[in-house]
Amino acid sequence: MSKLIEVKDLKKQYENGEVVTKILHGLTFDIEKGEFVSIMGPSGSGKSTLMHILGFLDTLSEGTFFFEGRDVSKLSDDELADMRSNKIGFVFQAFNLLNRSTTLENVMLPLLYTKISKKDRIKKATDLLNQVGLGHRLDYSPSKLSGGEKQRVAIARALVNDPEVIFADEPTGNLDSKSGLQVMKLLQDLNREKVHSIILVTHEKYTAEHAERIITLKDGLIESDRAVTKRQIADENNTLIK
Amino acid sequence: MFFKDILQISSTALLRQKMRTILTIISLSIGIASVVIIISAGKGLESMVLGELDMYNPNTLNIEVRVPSKGGAGSATSMATGVTITTLKNSDMDEIVKIPNISLAYNYITSQQVIKYQEQNKTVTVFGYGANADKVDNVKVSAGRFYTAEEENSLAQVVFIGAKIKAELFGDSDAVGKTVFIKGKAFRVVGVQEKVGASVGFDMDSIIYIPTKTLQKRFLGTDYAIGINAHVIDMSKLETTKEDVGMLLRDRHDITDSSKDDFKVTTMDEIRGTLETVVGGITLLLIALVCISLIVGGVGITNIMYVTVTERTFEIGLRKSLGAKSKDILWQFLVEAIILTSAGGVVGVILGILVSYGIFLGAINFGLKWVFIVPLYSVFLSIGFSAAVGLFFGIYPAKRAAALNPIEAIRKE
Repeated sequence: MSKLIEVKDLKKQYENGEVVTKILHGLTFDIEKGEFVSIMGPSGSGKSTLMHILGFLDTLSEGTFFFEGRDVSKLSDDELADMRSNKIGFVFQAFNLLNRSTTLENVMLPLLYTKISKKDRIKKATDLLNQVGLGHRLDYSPSKLSGGEKQRVAIARALVNDPEVIFADEPTGNLDSKSGLQVMKLLQDLNREKVHSIILVTHEKYTAEHAERIITLKDGLIESDRAVTKRQIADENNTLIK
Repeated sequence: MFFKDILQISSTALLRQKMRTILTIISLSIGIASVVIIISAGKGLESMVLGELDMYNPNTLNIEVRVPSKGGAGSATSMATGVTITTLKNSDMDEIVKIPNISLAYNYITSQQVIKYQEQNKTVTVFGYGANADKVDNVKVSAGRFYTAEEENSLAQVVFIGAKIKAELFGDSDAVGKTVFIKGKAFRVVGVQEKVGASVGFDMDSIIYIPTKTLQKRFLGTDYAIGINAHVIDMSKLETTKEDVGMLLRDRHDITDSSKDDFKVTTMDEIRGTLETVVGGITLLLIALVCISLIVGGVGITNIMYVTVTERTFEIGLRKSLGAKSKDILWQFLVEAIILTSAGGVVGVILGILVSYGIFLGAINFGLKWVFIVPLYSVFLSIGFSAAVGLFFGIYPAKRAAALNPIEAIRKE
């Protein structure tokens, strides 16, 4: 397997006038292509900031970040947008769907910023919605869907541009345990073929253990980085403990 | 990103806020309509004012009395101050005609008299016009004829009447040859003027013309006029002729200093130029005022776009996190502003044309010599201006939207 992400001595601080807030104090780790990694830590540990940097939504202050061998700090704003468009998919805790657009339109949204024709966009989005079991909800507004259905729409949206890596930020945080389980199963299924890497951000140990590896952050530093020995496998008979 | 996708996103967003979109378009279209209306009305006014000059031959040189000067104001002052200048005698005209480059001339004076036909009495403006008036100017005769020099010299009691007076006194029946009474004196109607419409200050169809000398001798007991119109033969020598007339009158009126002239010599071109300047100035002033309403409309658009951007911060953040570039967002909001202004432009131009046509109909109904013109440049000017307003006022909120940090924007949900 080749390296997807190489991070070396990554630091992040926010400056607001005189006040400097240090979030990340120097992180070093690699993520292979096809890996399923959890980034775990209590709130305030810097895990969301790390995810934003890895997801090209934020920039680092010091250190290096290579994505598929490219130095991300050297990319322009437009190139970063291209990376977001082509390389990654986001699944957010709050779903972040546009309620005024239909389910289908929501899934098609990332493809709007590519060169894919409208016909292909519709086909691809429809296929994915079928795949996540929502083929009968194409014309629905997301506001009419249940939390679990919303998150499945969000996963379809994250997949629509064939990303290298899916970032899932507390994807089960707003869901009941049954819906949470379905979402985790979907993520694990996606990872089975090792086409998509998955980086899961969570504060729950149990959810984190669905990954192959857990990087634990505390106060902006890596507390531990270990393989999961007893991996949780999501299936219909098991229920997420919350 | 494909342009038609941007267009679709922007138009969908505008359709979702129907009321807001409609109100914005209305506010802008009113400004744009005013530009079209003002320019069209300006053209109408111009045609009306300059149309008056069409009655005069371009070869006409006009001499009018003026109050000998304190300052340069012309005959208007003499009217305003009530001073009557009595120095422009009939003999002055006789001498002016002797200038080689002048072939003909007539003098004129005005008066108010009561005209009576059968049981009808009417107070009318009487123009004492010399018999050569129909040769110097373009007097349009619809029936009968204009009176002759012989008739004027014999102080004949003949009258040439305006179209409206004819209609009011005689209706459909023939007027020529009938006898009317002006201040109790019997006058024979020799001709009727074609309908010429109204011009500034005068309804030219409600006027009657009698020979200058008849008016002077039989009613006023004077031998002066308020003006002379002379026909110039060779227009290339117009300036010299104008000088000759000035020198002649100065000599006859014992004036040594031209700044103390009791008359003013004007060419038709000068009159036309003055009127064009005045009308143009008025139009320009009105356009400037109207532009304020366009700017107000533009600021309205900025305001609306700001609200829109603020409301849709989350959407912008999401789009950026899903791969939208800053310029995609910029275009999305810019296109919204452009759609708004173009719609306002089209509605405004249509509205402006309709209202201008309404003004035209009203003016015609009022008897004014109005012309309905919507110059193409006024359409381009207003649409161009609205597009510029859209770009100028739309780009700032759009830039703000494009510059939003996706993480912060997405937290706004």
